[in-house]
Amino acid sequence: MIRSFAVAAVLALASPAFAQADSRLTLTFETGAETGAVLVALYDTEAAYEGGQPARVAQVDVAAGQREAVFDLPAGAYGMKAFHDVNGNGKMDVNPFGMPTEPFAFSNNAVGNMGPAKWDRARFEVSGATAQTIRIR
Amino acid sequence: MFDETAMIPTRRTLFMGAAALAAARVLTPDRAYAAKAMSATADWSLATADVEGDVAPRALRLVHGRAPAGLSGSLYRNGPAKFRRPGGSSQHWFDGDGLIRRWRVQDGQASLAARFADTPKRRQETEVGAMLMPGFGTTGDPRARIGSADDASPANTSVHKVGGKLWALWEAGSPLAMDPETLATEDFVTLRPDLKNMPFLAHPRIEPDGRIWNLGVNGRQAMVWRLAADGALEDAQVIALPRASYIHDFSATARHLVIVLQPWVHVRNAMPMSAGFDWTPEAGTQVLVIDKADLTRRRIYELPPFGFFHAGDAWEEADGTIRLDLCAHKDMDFAARGAHEVLNGVPLGYDPAELAMVVLEAGGRGRLERTGVVGEFPRGDPRRAGLARRFSLHTTGERADRPLASAVGVTDWSSGRTRSFDFGPDHVTDEMVYVPRPGGTHEADAWLVGPTINLKAGVSELHVLDLMHVEDGPVATWRADVALPAAFHGNWA
Repeated sequence: MIRSFAVAAVLALASPAFAQADSRLTLTFETGAETGAVLVALYDTEAAYEGGQPARVAQVDVAAGQREAVFDLPAGAYGMKAFHDVNGNGKMDVNPFGMPTEPFAFSNNAVGNMGPAKWDRARFEVSGATAQTIRIR
Repeated sequence: MFDETAMIPTRRTLFMGAAALAAARVLTPDRAYAAKAMSATADWSLATADVEGDVAPRALRLVHGRAPAGLSGSLYRNGPAKFRRPGGSSQHWFDGDGLIRRWRVQDGQASLAARFADTPKRRQETEVGAMLMPGFGTTGDPRARIGSADDASPANTSVHKVGGKLWALWEAGSPLAMDPETLATEDFVTLRPDLKNMPFLAHPRIEPDGRIWNLGVNGRQAMVWRLAADGALEDAQVIALPRASYIHDFSATARHLVIVLQPWVHVRNAMPMSAGFDWTPEAGTQVLVIDKADLTRRRIYELPPFGFFHAGDAWEEADGTIRLDLCAHKDMDFAARGAHEVLNGVPLGYDPAELAMVVLEAGGRGRLERTGVVGEFPRGDPRRAGLARRFSLHTTGERADRPLASAVGVTDWSSGRTRSFDFGPDHVTDEMVYVPRPGGTHEADAWLVGPTINLKAGVSELHVLDLMHVEDGPVATWRADVALPAAFHGNWA
């Protein structure tokens, strides 16, 4: 019991979540609508970006006037995915053929090629104070 | 200032329709054809030449006859006019950038203006200096940035005037609104927020009162669009199709939608899109007839196999028999392969389409009545759309060694007779439209209006023919000082 706890603690200390948050990323969203919220997911590896869990998530309350998401992070490479939940129903709506009907965006304002933008287009470096303005409309 | 939540943007595969386009299958250029293309300098190559920029409004010069009294309006037409860039070119006639042309006749004078649809596709490709987008017959470039099907749209297939705007239409994306006077591009049309990015075919069926019916197709399902004359959405319902046929066009009577399901069927996700379809003649051609008032009421007719792009407006007889004119192809080789070669000026060797009549009896039997007349681009009297009519306008004179038309014809279904006028081998004839004579109500009281490319003079011309005397040739011809390549479809407004 104690032993397994110790192992978990060591693993936890080694994980990025406990790495020093020495940088600040500010993402400013230019939205086409004034309602709902922008849901943001930030990934710190290609594998996570292409199908794993985000390192951090955020919700920007557009209806309340918010436009920024701020993350205190360890320096490094990240990729961001976001969509604007314009009607506030908590999901990205799609049309009857499955295509998105709510705006979405990726870091670097990257656009995919008949699919989400891949890591090589969305990847960016966070170091010190880093900012991106993302058009999501 | 923000809440961290467990909410994670989930992301489905973004484009099912288009991606159908996604799995890359490169259509290897056939070297034999490439060699032929190098050596062939077809006299009709102006038909698929590039236009380098917008064409400022200009007067046309009357070179034959005189403007008919009472003829006043604009013929808006759309078709691809930019195929080649230094870093890479379109591989198929259907994938060039849409150039919207306005041929205007007013006070006895004629003028021409044309502007490219200012699409995300054209902007990206201009910036990079290469054609990037995948299409009907073009394999995409990995550098393409495509967030939705509209990003890949050439907006090049037809143009309709709807609610004071022009809608440049393609078949896999949204209508693109343009200003009818300046031809300036505005934005893609979203008919309802939850229907953003739904496809809208380039061949809507317009009832005589202006109501618009259309389909948007995705494999074995289709959106049935119903719009008021001003473009306001009245209804949108998804229906199931019995097979995933390639559907470029459909038809309608006053009471029914008539959807011809050819045996060119989507069987794989491939690029370009046309590589995803197989010709399966053993399956025959089916016709799905749907009640406009209740889309769940449907009937399927079984016909022998034929391919097609274009149909005319259907109608119903007193006993319930449905008829529609249609240009039947032996198969869809032209779509799959021929239109690559047209772009490169290669003579084909494919049989041209034949004008035919689809007959669907109330008892459930269907048949295709062939005419023996070569024909494509069928049009009729818009005042009789969905109602019984006598005449079909169409191009004619296409040959195996010269796939584009040189002649225009009028077929009278009551007599079975076709009258035509051949502009001769020095002309490539576009689709011509039916323009009712003001004040006239008889179906024969009309003009045919449409352009040709005068290959010898190296310029485009606009012609007006009298429907009753089409074999006499134009009653008026104006000549432009530029050559515009062949266009696909358009409308008089």
